Amino acid sequence: MNNAVHNESKDEIDYALDFTTSSAISRVNVKFLAVYIPIIWLSGILIGVFWYEWNKNKPPISEDWEPWVGTLIFLPYAIISMFFIFIISCMFLSKLFLILINLIHKPREGVFRAEIGDADFEFWCLRTELKKLVMWLMRNFPIPWLDSLAFKWFGVKMDSSSHLPDAWCDIEFVKLGRRVLVGQGAVVMSSMVIGNYLIIKEVILDDYTVIGGMACVSPGTITGRDVLLGAISATVLNQLLEAGWIYFGIPAIKLKPNQLAYVSQITKSSVDDEQKVIEEEVINIEEEKKEKLKDKW
Amino acid sequence: MSVPTSMRVGPFTPTVLVKKRYLLFYIFLIWISIIPILLEFWFYWQWLYDPVRPVHFYIFLPLLFFLMYLTMVFTALLFAKILLGIVNAFHKPKEGVFLRDLSDKDYRYWSLRNTIKRWPVWLSHKFPFPFLDNVCFKAFGVKTTFTNSLFEGWVDCEFIEFGKNVVVGQGSIIQSAVIVGNLLIIRKTIIEDDVRIGAHAVVMPGTHIGKRSVLAANSVTIVGQELEEGYIYVGIPSKKYKKNRFFEDGLEKVLGHVKDVEGLRQKYEEMYIKRHDDHLSIKERIEHRKEIKEEEKRFMEQQEP
Repeated sequence: MNNAVHNESKDEIDYALDFTTSSAISRVNVKFLAVYIPIIWLSGILIGVFWYEWNKNKPPISEDWEPWVGTLIFLPYAIISMFFIFIISCMFLSKLFLILINLIHKPREGVFRAEIGDADFEFWCLRTELKKLVMWLMRNFPIPWLDSLAFKWFGVKMDSSSHLPDAWCDIEFVKLGRRVLVGQGAVVMSSMVIGNYLIIKEVILDDYTVIGGMACVSPGTITGRDVLLGAISATVLNQLLEAGWIYFGIPAIKLKPNQLAYVSQITKSSVDDEQKVIEEEVINIEEEKKEKLKDKW
Repeated sequence: MSVPTSMRVGPFTPTVLVKKRYLLFYIFLIWISIIPILLEFWFYWQWLYDPVRPVHFYIFLPLLFFLMYLTMVFTALLFAKILLGIVNAFHKPKEGVFLRDLSDKDYRYWSLRNTIKRWPVWLSHKFPFPFLDNVCFKAFGVKTTFTNSLFEGWVDCEFIEFGKNVVVGQGSIIQSAVIVGNLLIIRKTIIEDDVRIGAHAVVMPGTHIGKRSVLAANSVTIVGQELEEGYIYVGIPSKKYKKNRFFEDGLEKVLGHVKDVEGLRQKYEEMYIKRHDDHLSIKERIEHRKEIKEEEKRFMEQQEP
């Protein structure tokens, strides 16, 4: 009970954002159906055309069983191609819509009101909803590189050496370096809703960053090289994580220097080099031995 | 917003305890919800299929698939609702603490209810647009409006009341039933208007969150906790942190970020180090201990018979 009194007297005018919330706004809005239905319809028609062409030259069903076997063998191929055609056409169409929307209103960083009536907020909702369909389709397909393709396609700056598929990640204002690993269930937010306000700020994760499972990365977080953010920790708004440190806790503070940082940078070529060095050394030792032996003799 | 794959697109009705005998309900629901879509497709085929010029057939086919999915969800919902009605007529769902054992009637019916709800909720979650979710929650007796975003978290399907404009964060869990040891606790969770629940927060059964409160990311409430109106709550278990002033107007330029994160961490930790009996005098402490002992005695007496 004392805590409450203590805190109340303390924060008379405290507007500091020293806590983390979420950005999950998938408000139900009938407006979004106006975007979805054309995308689904047009991509569906493409599939219809494919299916029609696939079946056009097939002989009609008869007692002759040989053409049936051929059809059955290649049916999975047809289904997978149909799925890919659907995804790719959805990708192109939603990108087209996205470009059009971005022409009307350019996405920008800043603090906006999270109310219907604010242009930035409404366009942000529209953008996230638009991207959702394709992301959903790709994420339900068991090929991880499709995910990173979709992230790249919608404007996340990342390399395919980074791993995002097991996390919630915003699809704009996120920059990833090389070989970044984001853990299971982690949340990488470039937008956050606090009270009546929507905050959009770019998140930058530098090379070899590892984000632990269930961690929350707030908007504006910038991590240096080799940063490790522990599991179930959270960063606050605009937090800078210094290069080469392990951060942990809510909010994340320095725990200890990341002494295993060099491990993440070892590549196959460097391992090969090391082996070569060892071999050379062995040879040298033997030569030294020989020399010593010679001296003895 | 993208949902992780390993989470299997997030939330279903949680803690379903699969019993073999409940399999019948699943099979019945799946079977009955597929029949109308087959009928739909058959009608469509009869109406538009022309082997020579199947242009119309293929043009409207995607829309038909869209409709078929919706029909499947709504039939599943309808029949699940009917089944639930019958099940609830046999045994009315009620709050309380029950034994987690098959001999306990409430426990059995609770898992039966969740089993029935699972198929429609799973179907509607597999749909990329959020509105089916809210329809599902509404049909199963969760008080919500369409302004809430519940799509990214796990939300239980009974004994929950939501106000308007509630935002449930990514991966957060809102429960009305929890299993602790060998007990099943069912209590009503109430979340009022304009509440923001952070990412990975856990709301335990019986929590009452007042209007315009914030439960910050990664924090957990305890069973039956009352969160006051207009405050920000932080931590495990969640504690009152400061007043929520972020609903005021004209804060666009005032909102600032924290520079001294380590100081902030200390501030967080102070909240936990401080004990509620810090400022008690010696007499009060002795009384407090007596009270605790008496409570223990009473508890033991209750246990004995």
